[in-house]
Amino acid sequence: MSTVGDTLQVFHPLVAKYLRKERMPHMACPGCGIGQVVHATLLAIEELGLTPKDTVWVQGVGCNSRITYSTWVGDNVDAHHGRIFAVATGLKMARPDMNFILFTGDGDCGAIGGNHFIHACRRNLDVTAILFNNGIYGMTGGQVAPTSPVGAVTTTTPYGNIEDPFDMCQMAVTAGASYVARWKSTDFKPLVNSIKKGIQVKGLAFIEVLLQCPTNFGRYVLKTSQPQEVLKWIKEHSVNKKDAEKLTAEEIAGKYLLGEFIYRPERSGIVERYQEFLKKYQKE
Amino acid sequence: MPTTIIKEFCKGCGFCIAYCPKKVYDLSEEMNKKGYRLPRPVRVEDCIECGLCDLYCPDFAILLEKRKKKDRPKGKEGR
Amino acid sequence: MPSGVKPGKYFVQGDEAIAEGAIAAGCRFFAGYPITPSSETSETMARRLPEVGGICLQMEDELASIHSVGAASVGGLKAMTISSGPGISLKLEGLGWGIKNEIPYVVADIQRAGPSNGVATRVGQGDFYTVRYGSAGGNSSLIALSPKSTQEAFDLTIECFNLSEIFRCPVFLLSDETVGHTRELLVIPEETRLNVVKRFKPTVPPEQFAMYPLDTPGVINYPFPNIGEGYGICVSPYTHNSKGYASTAQDIQEKMARRLVFKITENLGRLVRVEKQKMEDAEFAVVAYGGNARPAIAAVDIARESGMKVGFFRPIIVWPFPDGEVLKVAEKVKTILVCELNIDGQLSREVGRAAKGKAEVHHLGSGGVEPHLPAQIFNEIRRLYK
Repeated sequence: MSTVGDTLQVFHPLVAKYLRKERMPHMACPGCGIGQVVHATLLAIEELGLTPKDTVWVQGVGCNSRITYSTWVGDNVDAHHGRIFAVATGLKMARPDMNFILFTGDGDCGAIGGNHFIHACRRNLDVTAILFNNGIYGMTGGQVAPTSPVGAVTTTTPYGNIEDPFDMCQMAVTAGASYVARWKSTDFKPLVNSIKKGIQVKGLAFIEVLLQCPTNFGRYVLKTSQPQEVLKWIKEHSVNKKDAEKLTAEEIAGKYLLGEFIYRPERSGIVERYQEFLKKYQKE
Repeated sequence: MPTTIIKEFCKGCGFCIAYCPKKVYDLSEEMNKKGYRLPRPVRVEDCIECGLCDLYCPDFAILLEKRKKKDRPKGKEGR
Repeated sequence: MPSGVKPGKYFVQGDEAIAEGAIAAGCRFFAGYPITPSSETSETMARRLPEVGGICLQMEDELASIHSVGAASVGGLKAMTISSGPGISLKLEGLGWGIKNEIPYVVADIQRAGPSNGVATRVGQGDFYTVRYGSAGGNSSLIALSPKSTQEAFDLTIECFNLSEIFRCPVFLLSDETVGHTRELLVIPEETRLNVVKRFKPTVPPEQFAMYPLDTPGVINYPFPNIGEGYGICVSPYTHNSKGYASTAQDIQEKMARRLVFKITENLGRLVRVEKQKMEDAEFAVVAYGGNARPAIAAVDIARESGMKVGFFRPIIVWPFPDGEVLKVAEKVKTILVCELNIDGQLSREVGRAAKGKAEVHHLGSGGVEPHLPAQIFNEIRRLYK
């Protein structure tokens, strides 16, 4: 079955260069932020001179992964739900010379994948992970996520969520990732710069992106299906951490902090440590 | 117009219309094959080639080709 | 690549022999999580793999182990993981990823008494069906080999790796605590005497290559390009077409299911390996596998000394189940006694099915912890012998 992408003559230059045209247009809902984050990722890839020959896209399960899987013109490895970091470990240790960009979601990384996420940070695995945080489980139809705000009405919390959301950036910092940052999907320039920084740093780069899900978060939690309304909510509920220093605790309560949380390029990770280790113990 | 709209990729989200700082776009009556109403650049002379429409579009449906300064219309420089 | 083969005679446990077999087969990635009675393999790998430039990781859990092993194979390395009953249950999802995407690797199961955690340090044989049918969704077949001795643990591990490359799928080494923990002679031959199958690589350019040969379901020796080889491979847990693009189409699902089943069932001739002792004139057959084969063989010898015409039959490749060979036995003898370390009857159920009523099939079960004693099996032979 051919898609529209097969028949067009004109493409966005990033699509022409990096994406499989027969997989376009991608299947994200109208107004969903996933495409914006993919756009930022491709800009980072282009600015760094990465190519489909040396870069692999790794996915989990979730909207972000369904859309990015088999979209990149190079190799795509889509893991079972939550296992993306375990899969990335096998891939990177087998091919430490290649770049791996991971696309993961709230559930994939923070719920079912929590354990692998923590240990990948602890091992400081040299990959770049982009967390698509839309505060809900989009692909499966709008269930609560570990990142959903308190009070959120979702299909599995019809009376409102009573659990606190998970700050995965703090978890990544604590567990040992080299570089951790959080931006909104519309913070185009800082996001591209963070992705570039993350790809370049040795060790695990964890970049959380707050993005709009008009279909599920919008409709169930905010009672609107307008993507611009969801973007507005995200903007009102986030604050740059530099600005947050001047605000009171009440003023930043319930807000996401944006910015870079840690940058420790000196911290070695399992990839280089294993290579050093082999120099010592390899006999043949 | 330095931007091109790839009609069949558009999903009618309206970001280009809402977030263009110069309000270059309006919603048109034209629909693509999927039934989404397309944006149309109406105030072309106001375009400052900031590229926000290109970046905001989640579907790679707008591409900006920045013109050289000498090719841009005179009189409407800068912001 | 350095060979890692160390020819010589060794006095080691079956678990250690598995590690040596894996290294001899070219395994250069191992990930595991400690679980009795398999840990000795992980410990041996931790010592030996770095010596040959391989990667040995103790992952955070069983799931991370199998997923990283499958991924390492996608990354270009021959890879292996190991566990026992409860850990195998955890690995089944990862196994599905390997089956679906036709990824070669080896999983060893050192069975222990179950169900659930059971008795960690003692033998059982309750995973016979788990390894074959435990992975979600059916629509697949599976290859599993079972050693009865330390030597076989070495030899069959190499065979598992070879079959995984030939059939492009995960292959099980279904062992048990008896074999895993018994220390006995292992002879490692010169490397030139070993038969190690290399991974098949495509001979056509990417645009002509089908990553998953759905249109030729029975094909084997099929290439497996890895990441970074220019083939733009797509690997996914979802049903996908021959390029790897996810699909919900019924015809793709059908083709994929047939590929994953027929790839093995249309090549059964390559997958028959059994042991027979004293079967030529037998009127009664004792069937057992793995470590429990040893008391069964001893019991058969005792029965022969008592004048009974008893023979022994053992499947070595246990999956696909050797239906044809079992039927031949059933047509020859009057009675078959299956001795296995489970009460629910797993091997005996398969034997009963494959015998097609040509012989009486009896199940001598035991919950595990100890293998059967030869005397126990002999008493049952005597009770049933006609």
